[in-house]
Amino acid sequence: MKGIWWKILGVLIFIYVLVGGLTVPLKSGITSTDPGNALSGEHLALKIHGYNSHFYSAKKNRAWLKLDSIHALRALNFEVSSENDAVLHFDLPSYFPGKVKAQPLTLILDNEVDGVFVQPNAVFVSVTDTVHSDTIIPSGIWKSADLGHFHEAKSLHFPYRNILNETIRNTFFHVALWFAMFVLLIVGLYHAIKYLMTGDFDHDIQSASFNRIAIMYGVFGIITGSIWAKYTWNTFWTTDVKLNMTAVAMLIYLAYLVLRGSSSDHDRRAKMSASYSIFAFLALIPLVFVIPRLTDSLHPGNGGNPALGGEDLDNTLRLFFYPSIIALILLGTWMASLLIRYQRLKEKIFMSNQ
Amino acid sequence: MNIIKVKDIFIKELSIEYRQKFALGGIFLFAATVVFLIFKSFNNINPREWTILIWIIMLFAGLNAVVKSFLQEKKETYLYYYTLFDPIDMIVAKLAYNFIFLCSLFAIILIFMGLFSGFPVKDWTLFFSGSALGILGISIVFTFVSVISASENGNSTLMSILALPLVLPILLLLLKISAVSVRLLTDTAIMEDVWLLMGVDCILLGAMILLFPALWRL
Repeated sequence: MKGIWWKILGVLIFIYVLVGGLTVPLKSGITSTDPGNALSGEHLALKIHGYNSHFYSAKKNRAWLKLDSIHALRALNFEVSSENDAVLHFDLPSYFPGKVKAQPLTLILDNEVDGVFVQPNAVFVSVTDTVHSDTIIPSGIWKSADLGHFHEAKSLHFPYRNILNETIRNTFFHVALWFAMFVLLIVGLYHAIKYLMTGDFDHDIQSASFNRIAIMYGVFGIITGSIWAKYTWNTFWTTDVKLNMTAVAMLIYLAYLVLRGSSSDHDRRAKMSASYSIFAFLALIPLVFVIPRLTDSLHPGNGGNPALGGEDLDNTLRLFFYPSIIALILLGTWMASLLIRYQRLKEKIFMSNQ
Repeated sequence: MNIIKVKDIFIKELSIEYRQKFALGGIFLFAATVVFLIFKSFNNINPREWTILIWIIMLFAGLNAVVKSFLQEKKETYLYYYTLFDPIDMIVAKLAYNFIFLCSLFAIILIFMGLFSGFPVKDWTLFFSGSALGILGISIVFTFVSVISASENGNSTLMSILALPLVLPILLLLLKISAVSVRLLTDTAIMEDVWLLMGVDCILLGAMILLFPALWRL
């Protein structure tokens, strides 16, 4: 039991991440609204299609069209046709604050099952008589909206993001794989330095094994990222800096594998690969941490996009994201330890044959 | 580090190079031929192609030039050097030699490119300061990798496999800096990239100086 508890822990956490990360439903959202634009002063029947919503089972469905922080319009009627479909009726006023000819309105829905959810820029309203609008006193219709007393969603949900949709779950795998890869690379680096300082061959075996598993994680990270990109950015590969820089990083480390396979002299190979891996890791730092931050990128945390935190990683995601990193590190260490034992045995046989 | 020793090793490198004129001439001829080949196949090179091609030629000509830097002398000669020199003096001198060699190679490529297809650079200081830093970075990586490949009996395949990915981040920064200096791009924050390049050079230089003593007696 002594040496095995962390392996069991790693497997259990990973099962928790797999099961939880794939079964927890997304928060409700709105996938489409129809029509996309309307005229001011008209009656608007807005067909909405929800995702994971419970219009039918909920009793208190409410909806608003919001213009800005003080102007909002409550739906007159909420006709529910199914759990995910409804028609909202609005009387658009002829008066719109401001002189803009096309006003984007944000749709806000609220019920006691799903909580409150929002579709930005759901309807664009063309203001027909801007000439008169200045002279007319704001009508009471804008004030009738009572934005408040929102419901909270009852159970655990992942955030609903347009475009991302269900793929938000990939955060637990794609992002966590990179974190775990870096931890394993640092362990490999530590052993490489240790080998050069002490000359103990065992450190070389450990360094190589950790680096190998880290490279495997890197390849998995690229594959999961590529699949994710297909569903969100609609292409397997983009010109995004972070993608290309990691590709370079993987090439550097694949060259490491070539180097390890090149020499038959064990001591020479150990020294060469230890030095190369230190050199490669140092070359990697500007590549992965500095350059992407200076240039525009589609990834969060780069080129003005928000990083981990804020709205991108909310508390329900954290509940699985951090355990996923820990689980992957533990599993990686386990895999590396298997490689280490295999290499040690090979070394033993090699030594006893001589 | 002993400056006089470094100078001595540098002069030794230079005289060995001078004695083997065919190697020197071969590399310059290689550069000239490739430039001419590109000129004939493109006929009309626009500034965009110009900046890319100049670095591609530089990369491969430089690779050929540096791969031999630890192979010119016999292994037995190195046994003698072990007793004479400090490893840090040795690597600094080799690096200085390779840097100057690559700079002259770059100058020759520039002259040929200018001769055949014009010289579109607008911002001279940016172009030459960026190029100097980039060539320094390239020579650090190539020198380091040539140490490794020399211990594998001058395996030049190994050299290109190890060196090309390592040199890519430097090359990408260089391409951006030269694109700005040719006015293909406008970037007011280009100095950040120049500083970054200098930072990368410093990190790699430090790593090489730290690691070489462990590597050179392989």
